[in-house]
Amino acid sequence: MFTLFLSLFDSLGQTMVFKNDSIENNLDEVIISGTKTIRVVSSLPLNASVINKVEIEKTNATRLSDVINEELGLITVSDFGGAEGIQMQGLDSEYTLVLIDNQPLVGRLAGTLDLNRVSVGNIKQIEIVRGPSSSLYGNNAFAGVINIITDEPKQGFNGNVSSSYETHNTTDSNISLSYKNKDFNGSVFFNKYSSDGYDLIEDDGLNTVNEFNNNTLQIKLGYDISKKFKVRINTRHFTQMIDNIAPNNLSGETFTAEDNINFIISHKSDKFNTDFEIYFTSYFGDEFLDDELGNRFSESFYDHILLKPEIKTVYKIDNQKEFVFGLGNEYETLNRTYFEIEPKQNSPFIYFQYDYKPNEKINLILGGRFDKYKEYKSQISPKFSGIYKIQNNESIKISTGYGYKTPDFRQLYFNFSNSTVGYSVIGYNVVEDVLNQLIDEGQIANIIIPIEEFEDPLSPESSFGVNIGYSREINEKISLSSNIFSNSAKNLIDYRVIANKINGQNVFSYYNVNNVSTFGFDINTKYKADNYLNFSIGYQLLYAYDLDARKAFENGDVYARLTVDSPAFRLKKSDYFGLYNRSRHMGVLKINYNNLENNFSCNLRLRYRSKYGIYDSNSNNYLDKYDDFVNGHITTNISMNKIINSSLTVSGGVENIFNYLDRQNISNLSGRIYFLRAKYNLK
Amino acid sequence: MKTIKFLTIAIILIFTFSCEDDNNIGVDTISTTVEDLHAPLEGGQGQSASGSFTKFNFEDGIQTNSETNWDIAFRGTSIIVNGGISMGTEDEPERNGNGAAYIFEGTMNEMEIVETSLLVSDSQNSYAIPTGSGNGWYTYSGPPNHLINPTPGKILVFRTHNNKFAKVEILSYYLGAPENPDVLSDQSRYYTFNYVYQPNEGATTFD
Repeated sequence: MFTLFLSLFDSLGQTMVFKNDSIENNLDEVIISGTKTIRVVSSLPLNASVINKVEIEKTNATRLSDVINEELGLITVSDFGGAEGIQMQGLDSEYTLVLIDNQPLVGRLAGTLDLNRVSVGNIKQIEIVRGPSSSLYGNNAFAGVINIITDEPKQGFNGNVSSSYETHNTTDSNISLSYKNKDFNGSVFFNKYSSDGYDLIEDDGLNTVNEFNNNTLQIKLGYDISKKFKVRINTRHFTQMIDNIAPNNLSGETFTAEDNINFIISHKSDKFNTDFEIYFTSYFGDEFLDDELGNRFSESFYDHILLKPEIKTVYKIDNQKEFVFGLGNEYETLNRTYFEIEPKQNSPFIYFQYDYKPNEKINLILGGRFDKYKEYKSQISPKFSGIYKIQNNESIKISTGYGYKTPDFRQLYFNFSNSTVGYSVIGYNVVEDVLNQLIDEGQIANIIIPIEEFEDPLSPESSFGVNIGYSREINEKISLSSNIFSNSAKNLIDYRVIANKINGQNVFSYYNVNNVSTFGFDINTKYKADNYLNFSIGYQLLYAYDLDARKAFENGDVYARLTVDSPAFRLKKSDYFGLYNRSRHMGVLKINYNNLENNFSCNLRLRYRSKYGIYDSNSNNYLDKYDDFVNGHITTNISMNKIINSSLTVSGGVENIFNYLDRQNISNLSGRIYFLRAKYNLK
Repeated sequence: MKTIKFLTIAIILIFTFSCEDDNNIGVDTISTTVEDLHAPLEGGQGQSASGSFTKFNFEDGIQTNSETNWDIAFRGTSIIVNGGISMGTEDEPERNGNGAAYIFEGTMNEMEIVETSLLVSDSQNSYAIPTGSGNGWYTYSGPPNHLINPTPGKILVFRTHNNKFAKVEILSYYLGAPENPDVLSDQSRYYTFNYVYQPNEGATTFD
């Protein structure tokens, strides 16, 4: 099949072009995620950025998490299940909406959406909007939005195959084919990504990352019925198989399947652009462990479906004013082990956006969205943003907005009892039923929180964000951009003990409690030394506090001990460190060398994270400066590319050159990784 | 002149303090550390707990097998007092004293006077020192370390079986009180704690 394709297209070759990463080029970058209309990034009044294909290819990243980790202010955090999520502006991964081609991914097992599900092989660009964006996207766009835009077919036949091999027997192979003529376009992309995994801690009966095998198939088809009417269908199918091992000779598998289908009809006229879309996505997971004799030890499944029809119209009133209006419905179901019921939810929504350019210097955007919910309070999400161009190469912008996240189904309907330790976790909406059942079974010793307290529905978590940005091109060589950001989040959901069981263990349920504040600033500078060499350096300062925790320190309610045999002493307000897993300082340095004459490029990237805490080592329930911290560290990656001829590019490099390891605390650093990659363009 | 004035004040102060001390006529308080008191447990972890409690007497500062002359007793993470009634788990010793307890939030030094109104005895529904992480004396760290560590700032205040008082700060739940216990290699259910015992009848302070 492979050779067939090779012979089908003669190999005249579409070259991979090393663009000079100049400031001018970046100015032309467009983004759709900020407004649901195509806009130039630099003139958009939002804290938004784009990572384009050239940048991704230069680093030879194969995983989305690699790309995200090198973007200033974004880090990926592994949860205990090994899923890697995005932390944005100091807010947890469950609060960032992740889209592929403008449509949301589902399947957040414990809140985290695993970025490793997404291959970067056919990504055109990654769009990042920082700051609450529920005014356009509704639920989950609490901290911001990451939109992964995949390649669109170019004129004629195009195609490429690539394969990379790296340490841990990790392979990543891609086949990408596309065709476009006057009124038809289509593309097929296939990715296979597999690895033997690795183990950082021996003798615990577990692997840090188990052997896995991922496959992605994406097919996109488009047909222009007429000049005005277009239809498109995008489908993506993903499967993952993980070989599990667990202590006591248990072994099993985790199987995941994800399907996305998006059907779009667009109509264009002078004044109106209308898109009607039907999006269907499902996420299915099944996991089991067997003992040595093949008897089933444990099994669980997870089956999440989202169906979303939406219609959106862009009305261009005149050159200064544009109006966007949309409405739709989200239908969601989840069938899962340990659930009291199989929840179904219909939530209709409506949104608008008014985009106004009174003159060359000013652009204002006002928007809002209404989401209707039955199980919890319906949400109104406003936003306002504006940009003022002081002069051609200097601008300031401000954006403010509201974001929210509805309680997830687990927080509402969970009914789980741990068989080895004996505690129970109950979803908020089923507390009465399940607790009464436990009482009937004689399992409850004490009720701590009266059942009546669960009558009012759990509130969505919400945040209000402000971003103020300044950017300036100082001269042809130097540019800088800087942002101050602040997010105040309230009603964050946590769990607490609601009853004691007679076995001495607790019954937990969820409640709205935490108020969190994150604020800080970032600055990014680009310097183009000459035609060959350019630098970019970025720094982020971040403060992330739980306000109630800070109050507890202020009130003198928190204690610590210096050594195991010394008495406890009271902590001061200044001893509070902040939220777990947040580094106060982060920095990224990138050095690019492009030699167009010799078709060679090389880039070196350094990433710094200052110290952060991942657990409360002194058992006072707060992260304070007497806890153990993960040391601040730098990771360094290098990648080189050489264009051999018009068809073939070879690349190689080393990630984590200095072999930085913290086996106990950093599970996604597995030591030094070497890789080799070849890409062959077909035409 | 200044020196004389200072001396006078100092003398008066010393006199005043020693007078206060004299109010607690009798024996000095006992301040000591108990190391690695073993409190084994059978069952537990979802199964019903059983096995005999390790009984302790503050006055003697030692483990005891006496059926009456004990103040508190340990089994796993559970601590019971010799007062009140049994929660009905297996092998709980008979309570025949006037023991009671409460948890004071603060440091050992700040715990100066016993608030007798806060004292409760064990009851059918819960022990005077509640069980479970965060409810009583310890915090369970959860994954990945799964440690049971004493929560700093929790001082356990006890009335003994014979109406005296003691305050306790638990330091470690692991054998040898290691600085950084490892759940896989360090043995648990070994209590190390500091306590101050007030041997004088009716005295509610720990001077």
